[in-house]
Amino acid sequence: MTWDTEDLVLYAVEKGLELGASYVEARYHARRGSSLSTRNGAIIGLGSSFEEGVAVRVVYDGALGFSSTDIITREGLDNIISQAVSQARAHAELMKEKIEFSDERLGRASYKVVQKKSFDEFGHEEKARYLQDLWKTVSSSIKEARVAALVSVIGESVEEKILATSDGAFVKSYTPRVSFMYNVVVTLPSKGSVQKWLPYSAVGGYEWLDVWDPLGKLPEALKIYERILLEAKKPPLGEPVDVILGSEVVGLAVHESCGHPSEADRILGREAAQAGKSFIKPESLGQRIGSRYATVIDDPTIPGSNGFYLYDDEGVPARPRYLYKEGVINEFLHNRWTAHVFGVNSNAAARAMNFESEPIVRMSNTYMEPGDMEFEELLEDVKKGVYIKSYMEWNIDDERWSQRYGGLEAYLVEDGELKGLVRNPVLEVTTRKFYSSIDAVDKNLEFYAGTCGKGEPAQGVPVWFGGPNVRLRNIVLRVIGQ
Amino acid sequence: MIDELRSVGERVIEKALGMGFDEAAALLHYREASMAKYANSEPSVIQGWRERSVNIYVAKDRRILFTGGSVQSLEDIIGMLEQLRKVAPKVSESMLYAPLPEPGEVKPLQGLVDSKVVDLVYDLSPASEALFEAANRERIDSFAGMFEAAHEYRVVMTSTGVDLAEEGTSIETYIRAFAGEGSGQWSLGSRSYNRENVERVAETAAHYAVLSRHQEDVEPGEYNIVLSPMVVGDLFNYIVRMASAASVLMGTSMFAGKKPGEKIASDAVTIYDDARETGLPGSRSFDDEGVPTRRNPVIERGVFKTLLHNTKTAAKMGAESTGNAGLLMPRAWNIVVEPGSYSFDELVEEAGNGFLVTNNWYTRLQNYVEGVFSTITRDAVLIIRDGEIAGAARKFRIADSFPRLLKNIAALGSEVHDIYWWEVRVPTRTPYILARGVKTSKHTG
Repeated sequence: MTWDTEDLVLYAVEKGLELGASYVEARYHARRGSSLSTRNGAIIGLGSSFEEGVAVRVVYDGALGFSSTDIITREGLDNIISQAVSQARAHAELMKEKIEFSDERLGRASYKVVQKKSFDEFGHEEKARYLQDLWKTVSSSIKEARVAALVSVIGESVEEKILATSDGAFVKSYTPRVSFMYNVVVTLPSKGSVQKWLPYSAVGGYEWLDVWDPLGKLPEALKIYERILLEAKKPPLGEPVDVILGSEVVGLAVHESCGHPSEADRILGREAAQAGKSFIKPESLGQRIGSRYATVIDDPTIPGSNGFYLYDDEGVPARPRYLYKEGVINEFLHNRWTAHVFGVNSNAAARAMNFESEPIVRMSNTYMEPGDMEFEELLEDVKKGVYIKSYMEWNIDDERWSQRYGGLEAYLVEDGELKGLVRNPVLEVTTRKFYSSIDAVDKNLEFYAGTCGKGEPAQGVPVWFGGPNVRLRNIVLRVIGQ
Repeated sequence: MIDELRSVGERVIEKALGMGFDEAAALLHYREASMAKYANSEPSVIQGWRERSVNIYVAKDRRILFTGGSVQSLEDIIGMLEQLRKVAPKVSESMLYAPLPEPGEVKPLQGLVDSKVVDLVYDLSPASEALFEAANRERIDSFAGMFEAAHEYRVVMTSTGVDLAEEGTSIETYIRAFAGEGSGQWSLGSRSYNRENVERVAETAAHYAVLSRHQEDVEPGEYNIVLSPMVVGDLFNYIVRMASAASVLMGTSMFAGKKPGEKIASDAVTIYDDARETGLPGSRSFDDEGVPTRRNPVIERGVFKTLLHNTKTAAKMGAESTGNAGLLMPRAWNIVVEPGSYSFDELVEEAGNGFLVTNNWYTRLQNYVEGVFSTITRDAVLIIRDGEIAGAARKFRIADSFPRLLKNIAALGSEVHDIYWWEVRVPTRTPYILARGVKTSKHTG
């Protein structure tokens, strides 16, 4: 008999049940991709990869076991199922509360993301030419400062999954993804250097490169970085000012200080030794965290988005999650285990990076809801303030309460107008201060790509984060180096 | 298993040369590992892996190409090689091309395998029970953490005749304990399993949790700070990764523009990348190009000594390989900080007034070339007053620059600790370190 992959996934589920597991989940997970990298227009190398394997998860006597292998045969699966069951059994007596999963209406479906411009339409030769043209354009875009290094990478990948669970889920998916990233260093010996790293990534095909348009946008960005070195002044310090944050900063802030603390597994302490705990507690639902403008949504169903999926890795249908709604903590991100603990339904936040990874609670595409104002209206009644358009350095504590963003492109605002550039302003505030200080958001929603890290072993999953431009009142800024 | 990996390597190289590539190298791994993860003082998941992977380097007319993946998918990978062969003439020469090295004289390392670790791969429960018992010796509220045991084979084969294999075991464990407002975290990485050393991880975490149970706010400023091995491990991982020649080329290094012989740290600072330190999990006798490893001083008595190279970056930058390949980019194996002469109490006394920061996370840089960074404390921050521990502080940031920090290191402890955890991915052996005048920051509202 010939065993194809679907049969093997279903076989793994049956085998786990035979060994006494109360829940079994098997996932075939393959990722293939390639990337071309350059430095200052010169090719570094062309790489490709193909990884595939099967992961199984079992609940045995209330303990959770996970095992994976790249040996996709009956024998290979027999080994990992036995291992998952036996390791779970060996730890069952250390369990205080048995693991159970919520009952869900699970998917039986297959979906495929369609590319407008396929990988074949943008071959490696064209990619190499594109990146070489980028260097030519970028290196001649500034006159006084110098581009010390421009590393740029174009990548493409396809992710394929087949998921089956012992309670009836069966979901197949096919997801192509393209990416572009650069790291640029602009130097002027007497003034130091400015550095910017920026990744782009989305689900679909090379139509996205036209949207990102690095050939058009990067030279303009470099002119700004040169001006930062030449002209930027110290930001206003020591007194409260108004701060307008660009959507790049807002996106990161909502990812870090709304998305992460809303992960129900973190709230329950499952990541306490790694990514940390959360300032949000199980009883925090309904509590106010910010002004009425603070609505943050996590939505895996945005077409083309980097964090796109229609069913999560436990087979639950995806939907938008309103994490903060008009300033109130509204909903957590759940998988089937946390949903059971909280007595709710899963909202399909379980994701696994690859076949070597257990599905855990993750964000997808997290953004602040835009309003209907123009950007100019945000500026209008600012007497004194700073507009922080982009960032480099950032961090947040492990309960997601104290956050910091080091501004890169930033401007002084006086009497409703953008004045000159300011260098290295730092927004360093608590999460409550951040969301409570928002008094206006504009209508210009933009998304940025990232790879979100969590779990043990650490898993990086593709996400978008974004938002409109946002105005915060009465913020005391810091500056890097002081 | 080594024979199985070698036969895959032979096939790959033969296929690659048959397709017309000038050179080929294959790096193969087989890994069996198990990990118990803990949260709220109970296991949260027990994970296991069995996997074989192959990474392939090929070159044609100075073009560099890579492929790789699961050995299970070997036919697909060979198919990818064929595609790469067709593509090769269409991309330009690599700026990093250098011929693969000839076989060198590799001195095998002893003591890389511990049978106790091999047993733990199949049953982690003895280690879990040891950690559970040790964590609860102090009056803590709860603990979280993990224990991983791994058994790995690696093979390097090249078309220049390199044919090398090595077997190793490793453990990684860390525990974070919680007590009231406080918490403590500690870790260990090793090639072998020693129950007492593992228990000490849980004990230390619990000890710091209890010491920081009650906390007070402190103002940001410049302080003398004793950095625990957990913190040194995190910060020196960034510094030593920046010493990879790849980081210099990519514009992500504070060593860009620095020349060996330049003074960049205080006299007290000596940092090695030491692949031959067999106590640490990164130890190996040869790198991914088959070049024999050695102990490389990155900083010696405050003086910058060498970047970390493979043969490619070495050729590009007029140096010689330091045994740190990466098939494309060099990387560090084990960071070893030379200890000083201070006992722990003497370090605290020397600090006078300031803090002991026991753990940190989320280190990010505003500018790699200038080494400007911030990082935020997590777990116990202990207040030092008049040379003694006098309480615990709430979280703050260290917001400074690496060049400044290195110059302000005043004293090092005499006892070293082997750190390896989620935030410290290059195993690091280091003592506690005192740095003076460290800049700190905190949220403004």
